[in-house]
Amino acid sequence: MIENKTVELAKDQPLLLDSGKRLGPIITAYTTYGQLNDEKSNAVLVCHALTGDQYVASKHPITQKDGWWSNVVGPGKSIDTNKFFVVCPNVIGGCMGSSGPKEINPVSGKEFGTDFPIITIADMVKAQKLLIDYLNIKKIFCVTGGSMGGMLVLEWLSKFPDMVHSAIPIATATNHSAQNIALNELARQAIMADPNWQTGKYYSSPDKPTKGLSVARMAAHISYLSKDALQSKFGRNLQDRNELEYSFDADFQIESYLRHQGFTFVDRFDANSYLYITRAMDYFDVTSQHGGSLIEAFKDTKSKILCISFTSDWLYPTSENKKIVKVFNSLGLDVSFIEIETDGGHDSFLLEEPKFFEALKGFLNSTFDKI
Amino acid sequence: MSLINEKKDFSIISSLIPERSSVIDIGCNDGSLLEYLEINKKVDGRGMEIDQEKVQLCLSKGISVIEGDADTDLFDYPDNLFDYSILTYTLQATKSPKTVLSQLVRISSKSIISFPNFGHWLIGSSLLINQKMPVSKKLSYSWHETPNLHFCTINDFIDLCNELSIKIEFKANLKTKKIKPFNGKNIIDSYFNEVGLFLISKK
Repeated sequence: MIENKTVELAKDQPLLLDSGKRLGPIITAYTTYGQLNDEKSNAVLVCHALTGDQYVASKHPITQKDGWWSNVVGPGKSIDTNKFFVVCPNVIGGCMGSSGPKEINPVSGKEFGTDFPIITIADMVKAQKLLIDYLNIKKIFCVTGGSMGGMLVLEWLSKFPDMVHSAIPIATATNHSAQNIALNELARQAIMADPNWQTGKYYSSPDKPTKGLSVARMAAHISYLSKDALQSKFGRNLQDRNELEYSFDADFQIESYLRHQGFTFVDRFDANSYLYITRAMDYFDVTSQHGGSLIEAFKDTKSKILCISFTSDWLYPTSENKKIVKVFNSLGLDVSFIEIETDGGHDSFLLEEPKFFEALKGFLNSTFDKI
Repeated sequence: MSLINEKKDFSIISSLIPERSSVIDIGCNDGSLLEYLEINKKVDGRGMEIDQEKVQLCLSKGISVIEGDADTDLFDYPDNLFDYSILTYTLQATKSPKTVLSQLVRISSKSIISFPNFGHWLIGSSLLINQKMPVSKKLSYSWHETPNLHFCTINDFIDLCNELSIKIEFKANLKTKKIKPFNGKNIIDSYFNEVGLFLISKK
């Protein structure tokens, strides 16, 4: 059973954001799969990544493609919807129906644009918590997600430790490295350098900052792949031609591929959302409320945790994920760790990786059996 | 190395561990020993395993496991985190048995170590008579494919413990299933025990 829903929360009391500003009401668009059992003990909260959304395992309304985690979530899959009730909300700041820059500001009656307050990963989690409360779930069986989704998982473990029975942070980090921030800044500058960005007030204009957003996506896409995978897939192969054309056309297949990634992305993503969400990722530091101490940040955590990394991921490398494992170990937490060997790069958590699927399934089923 | 799956090993190790202890099993294989201890001693168990297929087996059984290497990843644990650490049939396969032993006694109050005894008379005679590296049920690899890097005898192990100021509290005999307080080297043990099994701690 798949349901797409939208709920308005924090109506009476706006949410206090990390910036000190308030946001309310908060609209959350979310999708659910499977059924919540009578004990409400089978809820799996899936947290999406930067450009993900609530369409985890159902057809995307714009692209008409399968959901981004269709190979993981579904009947009989690693996150088995015959067994688990899967909830996936679009994060605030996003552009698929949840409160974000492209939604209408109730005060002005126009799109928020850059009047939307700066949000953080912690703010996204606070908004998700409102949804979980609304669904009357006291304890989430498992919170999981990769990349930015993994940051949300870490924030859940730190902020609401009593509400999380188990957790699977995947290919993530406790904060952004200078390199991570640099790549995001490159993307933001590409968007803002597009004259059609118009300081974020492009919604009623016929000209949208699609070129800037497209370049942002191209840059980011490179960081999601490994050098080896790029080399073996494209090498120096030429695109629909036998020799170089001595022009700035897409002579190489890799150029054509990246351009395609950029072009198709702009149909489904809002440029301002890209600014807001990358900012949230850069600001993320799970220790920020804890004097910079990871031990303090997770001192109340008691969930059963599985950390997963991928060998060829250079964006959120194994070393960053192992740092998380080390902290959990230091606290004597119930933590497992597995590193999946693959040349798929950071994107591996979205790809067909049987060993990854096996680990998810083994952990989820055995943990559920032991409840 | 097949000996690890034998229940008699499990029961003798289990008899050394009080109920509800926290335990880490280094080189925990498919997690069967931890599962045994969780059922029989209600321990709070963790495992470390280098072989990913076995890590997957642990995960599917609900055994908490870190995919890791005893030689490098024990440093990640704080002092005295566990009541017991266990290292069965792994010491001889580590790059630095000395470092691993020191780390084990650092991260846990007590450690249980077992290893094939290279001083066993059959091994000695195999070398002496056949002029070949011994291959037996407990040492099941040929010399050219063995993962074992540092074979030792029971007496070598005792010497290393002394060097590292590690106290050997008990010794166990897998054949007779007897556990006795350790009081120094003993020629019977070193000749006739195929396996050395000791409970050690920091001095």
